Amino acid sequence: MEKTSRLTQLPAELRYIQYEHGLEEQYLPAIRALISKDLSEPYSIYVYRYFLYQWGHLCFMALDPADSSLKGVIVCKLETHASHSPATLRGYIAMLAVSAAYRGHGVATSLVKRAIDAMAQRNADEIVLETEESNIPAMRLYERLGFLRSKKLHRYYLNGSSAYRLVLVLKPFDPDAAADLALDSPPIAAA
Amino acid sequence: MESQGLHNVSQDGYNSYQLYDSEPPPPPQISSQGIIAFDITQRFLNAAKTLEPGTLVKDGYFSLMESVGSIEIMDPKMDSGCLAPGESLDEDYDVTKPLTADQALGIIDQLLCHEVSRGPAIVRCEEPNKKQMAWHLGYPLSQTLFTNVYIEALLMPFPQTINEAHFLRNGEGAVDYDAMNKNPVASILRAYCLGLLKSCHFVNERIKSEHYYEEEDFVTNTYHRSLLDHINLQDIRDALSNASLLTYKRRDLIPQDIAEALGYRLELREEFLRAIELAAENGQQPAALEAPWDHMEMLWEAINKSHSLGTPVPEAFSTKIQRKLASTMPPRPIVQLSFEEANSHFKRLFLDGKEVVKVLDFKDSQSLLNFVLLFQAKKPQPLVYIRTLLQSYLFRDMVILGTLSIRHVLDNDLSIVTMPCSRLLDPANDEIELPSDPRFTMAQQMELFRQRAAQSYLDIFRAFCQNRCRIRRTLCHSIQDWETVQVDAEEIDQQLQPYTQEVPVSWPRANSPPAQRLPLSSWAYLYKLRLMEWIVQLGFELDIYAPDELAGMYWYLSHLARTRAQHIERIKTFTIQIVADLERRSVTVSPEDQDKYDMSICYLHMALLDATVTRELADALSCLYTALLRLDLIVPPPRPCSTDELRYDIRMKPFAPIGLPELPSFETFTQATQQADVPTTKLLDIADEAVANAKKILEVLKKREPDAVFTHGSHDRWVAATANGQRSAIATGLAVMVLRKALKGAPDGKNLPFKVEFKAPDKRYHEFWNVPSLVPKK
Repeated sequence: MEKTSRLTQLPAELRYIQYEHGLEEQYLPAIRALISKDLSEPYSIYVYRYFLYQWGHLCFMALDPADSSLKGVIVCKLETHASHSPATLRGYIAMLAVSAAYRGHGVATSLVKRAIDAMAQRNADEIVLETEESNIPAMRLYERLGFLRSKKLHRYYLNGSSAYRLVLVLKPFDPDAAADLALDSPPIAAA
Repeated sequence: MESQGLHNVSQDGYNSYQLYDSEPPPPPQISSQGIIAFDITQRFLNAAKTLEPGTLVKDGYFSLMESVGSIEIMDPKMDSGCLAPGESLDEDYDVTKPLTADQALGIIDQLLCHEVSRGPAIVRCEEPNKKQMAWHLGYPLSQTLFTNVYIEALLMPFPQTINEAHFLRNGEGAVDYDAMNKNPVASILRAYCLGLLKSCHFVNERIKSEHYYEEEDFVTNTYHRSLLDHINLQDIRDALSNASLLTYKRRDLIPQDIAEALGYRLELREEFLRAIELAAENGQQPAALEAPWDHMEMLWEAINKSHSLGTPVPEAFSTKIQRKLASTMPPRPIVQLSFEEANSHFKRLFLDGKEVVKVLDFKDSQSLLNFVLLFQAKKPQPLVYIRTLLQSYLFRDMVILGTLSIRHVLDNDLSIVTMPCSRLLDPANDEIELPSDPRFTMAQQMELFRQRAAQSYLDIFRAFCQNRCRIRRTLCHSIQDWETVQVDAEEIDQQLQPYTQEVPVSWPRANSPPAQRLPLSSWAYLYKLRLMEWIVQLGFELDIYAPDELAGMYWYLSHLARTRAQHIERIKTFTIQIVADLERRSVTVSPEDQDKYDMSICYLHMALLDATVTRELADALSCLYTALLRLDLIVPPPRPCSTDELRYDIRMKPFAPIGLPELPSFETFTQATQQADVPTTKLLDIADEAVANAKKILEVLKKREPDAVFTHGSHDRWVAATANGQRSAIATGLAVMVLRKALKGAPDGKNLPFKVEFKAPDKRYHEFWNVPSLVPKK
């Protein structure tokens, strides 16, 4: 997949900063470019703003200290998950990207950890995400941190490949309080 | 919705007008009685100016899905209407240009590739660091058949009649006979397209009328194009036969081998329509239903062999047509499936189409269930059309397999599983009108029970007609439903107890207090346990569990299978007691009733063996994986953000609401999995013994006749699956042996010269048994 050669060593410790709305003009084009690089179909600007405007505090960027250019980014949201009873506060990692040359140095892990911390501070019950079943590096990254695969999603992506839902639970689960199983889909209905 | 969006409207909007050196158009004239119009443009622009770029102005209902659904106009990657400089809106391809026969063949074969690649997929929020995978089966019409210029010309403008359904049309939209005479090969291609589109219509309708998941399994969207649903099928048949005739008549134009090749393809279309038509009719004999599939298998051989005669016409396919389809979808590439790939998919389609007919040959409810389980476990799984066909055979018009009432199948199952020859199942009870008669109450209560349980029971069959991921997800919900079925059934059991004249039996030990039979709730409990086991087993099949979870999950599977075996023992004890009681009292049992008792005892015996095999092999793997964890051959990831207990909660979440069997506590689970007081060599002894037991039982099972294992219609598949279970057991035994040997050489268990490797589910002997390979370290 990656033709760009990786750096054997990072030039310097990257600088991690939290996104805020004021940085949009400076960083949104770079965020879009970095994320859409590996996508067959780009997201419109509305998708980025949907996340960044509402949950900029859950977006973190890894910057090159020399020129403040963007080398990695994570975009998340945190919302009440309504199909639960009682509702849970569910974090969602929507996008994660690291510039090809900077991969393999724990940049993505640092970004994810920051996002987890930020969501945990805001009282998240759990954090979820989807990843393509063939994306072994991403799954390894998340599973090393403590995420579990909770279910497989058949042909989830545009290219027809399946995904895993990964879940990190931050707070104990109360079985008596749960009417739903966090398994999103409604029970099968007979036609 | 967003202010920047609004800014864009105002700024970019004007900019684009500047491009064309003209003023924006004047506001529309709005005058209508009762409407007072205000021009709010300026107020709107003023309000928008107060917002910073990027400000989100939205209500609470604006969701992620809506933001993902939005596109940016004039971005060539998102806006399918966006033209590059100098690019024309329409395809320049001329459909009236005379075609040679080999070109028509090439186009038809390309259409075959597109046909079999029909199916799913839409974008959702996704991880960006992903590889572009090879194209899979399954894309919408817009990326497949609707990219063909002939199909587009045939469907647009909308053809009212069969005569208008042609890509050669005159100014009035009717068939251009003049052009047709000059281009006879076009008639063949046209007839092929008519047959193709009509069968797509039927396939779409069949799928839509059953349970499936839009986009995930299939995309039924036709983008406001007709699939000739309004055109008479007979007219299309006529067009196909006329075209077949033409392949003979015009040998002056068409070389013989190509004429034959075209003939096979036209015939395939006719047969496919026939297969679909027959399947839609009630009361067809299985032999009649199988015939067209059989014929298509043969035709396909000939089609495959003659593929090389065609000349591809890639320019007859274009993504530009997507611009005209009713959709806001971004431009998407044509799905390119090779003919070799199409070949294997078609072969499988025809084979599965034929095999699925066997479901109609009903013998008993358990064979029916086994048929569905085994047919759907095929790898690769049957295509969605076949899966919906199976659903339609099973449930159409609420008549099971076209001939049986739901009650018949349900009562058959109750009779086999928990209550052979029970008074409760006597149909004569229904005839009693006197409320004081016990039979009246029995009929009434049983009807209540059927109403409660039938849907849940049928849902098991329907669940297994879904894709593998959905089966597991659906079952996670179903077990809660079965929990309440069991509770409700127990209430009915209690109500009926005075009428059944069944003697309580000491259970589980001879000196235990007498227990009631509870046949209805016992039946429900057995299904719930099977569902729970399937959820765990599908977890292995779908590679849900991390390597260090395997010891625990196999322990839990073994725990469930053990519980099921105990429950089957209970049912069996009661049934045998009843038979023994009849013998003791020298009651004459009719041969018919004797068969029912025998059948039930036979089923319980088989089910007990099945549960025992699962328990033993799961035990063996659990012990083996625990040993591998102890020896650091499987090393859990660091997981700094999680705890073992929190992960146990999430892993067992589907089972947590279930009261019986209760989910073991985290402590119990941990102790049972780790077996800290058992030395590693002893763990391997236990594993060995369990493997030996499993192998023995599998050997016994494998030799059983279909009647004894309830596999009427699917016995070959069952034997193969059992043999694969046996291979898994043997492989487990081998891994244990290798480990034992290595431990002898290094009693401290440090630095064993192995690494553990796992096989992908489709590479395992059996998907449910994830047996590790111990590979020597180099």
